Amino acid sequence: MKTSFFELTTESLNVGAIARRVVPAGCGATVTLDGYVRQFTKGRETLYLVYEAYEPMALREMEKLIEQAHVQFEISNVGIVHRLGKLKIGETSIVISVSAPHRRAAFETCEWLIKELKRTVPIWKKEFYADGEVWVEGDASRDSQITFND
Amino acid sequence: MINVSVLFFGATAEAVGERQMEIDLQQPTNAREAFTEIVETFPQLKSHSLLYAVNQEYAGGDEAINDGDELAIFTAVSGG
Repeated sequence: MKTSFFELTTESLNVGAIARRVVPAGCGATVTLDGYVRQFTKGRETLYLVYEAYEPMALREMEKLIEQAHVQFEISNVGIVHRLGKLKIGETSIVISVSAPHRRAAFETCEWLIKELKRTVPIWKKEFYADGEVWVEGDASRDSQITFND
Repeated sequence: MINVSVLFFGATAEAVGERQMEIDLQQPTNAREAFTEIVETFPQLKSHSLLYAVNQEYAGGDEAINDGDELAIFTAVSGG
């Protein structure tokens, strides 16, 4: 089988490069987002982050995003993995991989998925700075938000 | 009366000082009424921009609330 391989190497392994070689036969491209912890945000230095999720709802929302992506885009497979807990600078917090027959759809889908995930999936990050800590609150504009009269 | 559980996460958990609680509500009630009552109980939540969920789905306000439902109050999400 073309997609199977086994090798010996003394080099360090590049997970992304390996993963890209195992794509469905009908595909032409995999786009992978490797999102990781940034040291400086608006000039303020982050020491580390903590991610927390409403786990069952987050999984449901992630599943919905993947279902929607399959309706909207010409893609084959999607993988989304989000890490929780404490993360150091440079550690990967999220991986989104999309394979598609043509690269354009894979790029567009990956970008759409991260934008939607940041809007809808109930996960929060807490930034720990040298001089304080804060739960980051995203952009609250959602169609389903309840508006109260007061 | 019905009994529901209410979940808090991140900033709302810190504001309330609890991650989960059970509360009693008068029946019939909908999501808007239920969440209004909860936020009135914890006015410190009002300084946040809040989102609401009923049984792990975003709530628009008109959803009926039933005994045993799982409600959640949290701030705009910030994953990724």
